[in-house]
Amino acid sequence: MADQKALLKQITEVSFTVNDLTLYLDTHPVDENALTAFKQAMEQRKQLLKTYAENFEPLTINCVCPDTNNKTETNTKYAGQKHFTWVDGPLPWEGGNL
Amino acid sequence: MWNYEKRLQFPVNIKETCPKTASLIISQFGGPDGELAASMRYLSQRYSMPCKEVGGLLTDIGTEELGHLEMICSIIYQLTKNLTIEQAKTAGFDAYYIDHTTALWPMAAGGVPFNACEFQSKGDAITDLIEDLAAEQKARTTYDNLIRIIPNPDVREPLKFLREREIVHFQRFGEALENIKSNLNPKNFYYYNPEFDKQFVKSTMQ
Repeated sequence: MADQKALLKQITEVSFTVNDLTLYLDTHPVDENALTAFKQAMEQRKQLLKTYAENFEPLTINCVCPDTNNKTETNTKYAGQKHFTWVDGPLPWEGGNL
Repeated sequence: MWNYEKRLQFPVNIKETCPKTASLIISQFGGPDGELAASMRYLSQRYSMPCKEVGGLLTDIGTEELGHLEMICSIIYQLTKNLTIEQAKTAGFDAYYIDHTTALWPMAAGGVPFNACEFQSKGDAITDLIEDLAAEQKARTTYDNLIRIIPNPDVREPLKFLREREIVHFQRFGEALENIKSNLNPKNFYYYNPEFDKQFVKSTMQ
């Protein structure tokens, strides 16, 4: 089973890379090294978000798929029942839940 | 248009209740150099910015500031969520508790409510970008002051992250200012206002 805490940490790290490169590319839109790094980080982020949503709650609305989300039925009130998985998981400001 | 991502930009996991610390950090929510003023400043200025790359940068930094606002609110929330009535009497938090219990409300550490006068949207690209550069430095100083007096590592780590972001944003705004200037009259940057005197603006800027 995927380690939720480790997976979320990876998502935080790769998303930070995407975020910081976004600002850099806003002022250096033709920097080839930055464009390559952005592409790699985006691919990694997309894959990690997908894996996270399959095992746990979806983190973005684009990851919401009631048929495939949260296989482990972690942090949900609706185990065994088809439901809107966007309501699963902890609220981000609660902290310490993972 | 915005979409929410259900995670913090940097983790906030605070174990120890401390209303005194919360009453100081609240300045970075609703204070003069806080994250609410930062996001509203950039997201307000962007519409009339003459250069689309700079308008894009203001959107992206303004959006990140909303994520910072969420981190600051999470810190304050976690510092006070298990507050006892005895702890509520702590100097610096008692007055806040009377008006807001443990809810989040934007104000400065000195008790002044959030006010739009804490930022400017002037409608002149040079003026606004220099305001943005100063804003990032003022926020960096506030984080320096907080980090200097707060010993708890659970609180310090996210504050250190936020402080570093101020420096990165300062760098990006500096590049944006150079971009604007490169499209102005090099003999006199103040010859016209690129956000108003559109007949002078080169097509490269749009």
